[in-house]
Amino acid sequence: MNLGRIGATTVAQLKMMVRRRIVLFWSLVFPIILMTLLGLLFGRSIDAGTITVIDTAHTPASSAMVRALRSTKGVTVKLDEKDVAHARNQVKDGDRDALVVLSSPGGSVIGPRGTLAKLYFSNASATQSGILKGVVSGIASRVSAAAAGGSPAIAYTQYSVDSSSLDYADFLLPGIIALSVMISAVIGLSTVLVAWRKRGVLRRLKLTPMPLWEFLVSRIAASLALALLQLAVLIAFGAIVFGIHISSTAWAAVPVVLAGALCFLVMGFTVGSLVSEPETADAVTNVITNPMMFLSGTFFPVSAMPGFVQTIAKALPLYYMANGLRDTIVRNQGLVHVLPDLGVLLAVTGALAVVSLRTFRWE
Amino acid sequence: MDAIRVHGLTKRYGDHVAVDGISFEVHEGEAFGILGPNGAGKTTTLEMIEGLRRPDAGEIELLGRPVWPDPRAIQSRIGVALQTTSLFEKLTSRELLVLFARFYNRSDGAERAARTLELVGLESKAESFAGDMSGGQQQRLAIALALVHDPDVVFLDEPTTGLDPQARRNLWDVIRAINDEAGKTVVLTTHYLEEAEQLCDRVAIMDEARIIALETPARLIASLGADVRISYTQDGREHVSYEHDAQTAVLETLEQARRSGSQIEGLSVRGPSLEDVFLKLTGREFRE
Repeated sequence: MNLGRIGATTVAQLKMMVRRRIVLFWSLVFPIILMTLLGLLFGRSIDAGTITVIDTAHTPASSAMVRALRSTKGVTVKLDEKDVAHARNQVKDGDRDALVVLSSPGGSVIGPRGTLAKLYFSNASATQSGILKGVVSGIASRVSAAAAGGSPAIAYTQYSVDSSSLDYADFLLPGIIALSVMISAVIGLSTVLVAWRKRGVLRRLKLTPMPLWEFLVSRIAASLALALLQLAVLIAFGAIVFGIHISSTAWAAVPVVLAGALCFLVMGFTVGSLVSEPETADAVTNVITNPMMFLSGTFFPVSAMPGFVQTIAKALPLYYMANGLRDTIVRNQGLVHVLPDLGVLLAVTGALAVVSLRTFRWE
Repeated sequence: MDAIRVHGLTKRYGDHVAVDGISFEVHEGEAFGILGPNGAGKTTTLEMIEGLRRPDAGEIELLGRPVWPDPRAIQSRIGVALQTTSLFEKLTSRELLVLFARFYNRSDGAERAARTLELVGLESKAESFAGDMSGGQQQRLAIALALVHDPDVVFLDEPTTGLDPQARRNLWDVIRAINDEAGKTVVLTTHYLEEAEQLCDRVAIMDEARIIALETPARLIASLGADVRISYTQDGREHVSYEHDAQTAVLETLEQARRSGSQIEGLSVRGPSLEDVFLKLTGREFRE
């Protein structure tokens, strides 16, 4: 084994991957499009929506905030004098998209003349509440910063009117990450392996003193790096665009992504070992990845599916990857909690590795 | 000193004998050509010497060492450009050369890449992706990749197949430079007679799995025992003859045609070539 050579080869492999637009499309652009489409589809519209504002504070800061909200594009403001409970129910029922309550209760945190801004939102429309959260908190901090004085002029908090559960976007993001890592890994490795063999690249490499397994290891290392890039980019996208709250345990998603990517790379390697034509590889990977995509709880919770589908889901590695990512990225669960998922992924990896090493051929 | 010794080399695929007990030597520093029509067994022969295919019988010695059963032992001393040359399309020429130098554990890849690019005349394409280059340039890159670790023997399998005449001539210059200036032993296969004549010190003519002649191109042609080849069509039938004295032969042919009142068409007089050697040895036309 020659680590320097493997390192240099891995860098070359990475260059080859990221220089292909199709690779970047499937690994980064496609999941972002999918996330956006599904996020918008199951939210209501791209319009931020109509919000109720109840201003009982009547401070300069609260007036400034009402003015700022009114002048915000895509936001319709209805001023209301009625009670907060009624307005909250409107949000819950979907008659309004959010409620902003501005009050001046006094107290040590915000000072006697400070304003308290509370946002109530519903998770039923994930996109809108995501956008509104961003808009209202942004305006609150801007107005607060503009006001002079020692203590903050506005203290902002937000509350869900629903019982505690995941936003759809929160639910969706880890599923999309798992899905895109799977697609990149399975399709990426199987097609490249078939192409290398068909075009005689492997034969040519056999004529060099480098063992071919080193070449494969470098490809897998490069693919794992791509998977980590997907994880980082998609988490950033979800946090910024959909306002998804990322758990502090999200670092534990790294081993889950690596184990999942490895599992699907070995799956792609198995396909690449068994078929000899690029078109066949394409067809086979589609047959494998498409059902998995819909049956593994990537887009919708498996618990919402019929019993037999749930049984199938639990036999699919993508289910465990999506589950592990969801637990760590948005459900605030640590590494210990996802050890069973990691175990399943590594076990499947091992089983597939045995199969593929038996069927693999260089020519 | 011989760079390669091959004795009784045989390869079968089922009932089909691809290479049938051939023997030959390649001298050090020589440009050696294996010439023959498609399917003659040239590539199979080359691949057995390179260590890609295991022979069914026979011995191969490369630089004094047997190639089989452990072909890896001589790998760093040979360089190979295979027939299929497409490599990693999204790496530049320079990156590919540095990578290949690395495969051979050479750390001075950048220097070697620059030197090799110059040798094959690809300096201006150093930063081009392999996939974006023309057929001739890709072929030169394939040869550069075979040279980057400074091997003693270079194998080129049909290096100019599929290239246009201009690109072919340019590549000949590259191959001459490898042989003459860099002093490498070059073994190439080709089904272009002119290529073998132009590039090779000695040529092995292969047909139907056997070597039917092995000599310098000049001696092969001289073996015809003729100075000119005369060909023409008379009454719809093709005639080819090999003669010493062009003037006498042509005049006699024309005179005989005039007397018999028949029509002579497409009269051509030229020096004999390897094509004629092949025709004489096999009784068949050489089809490129």
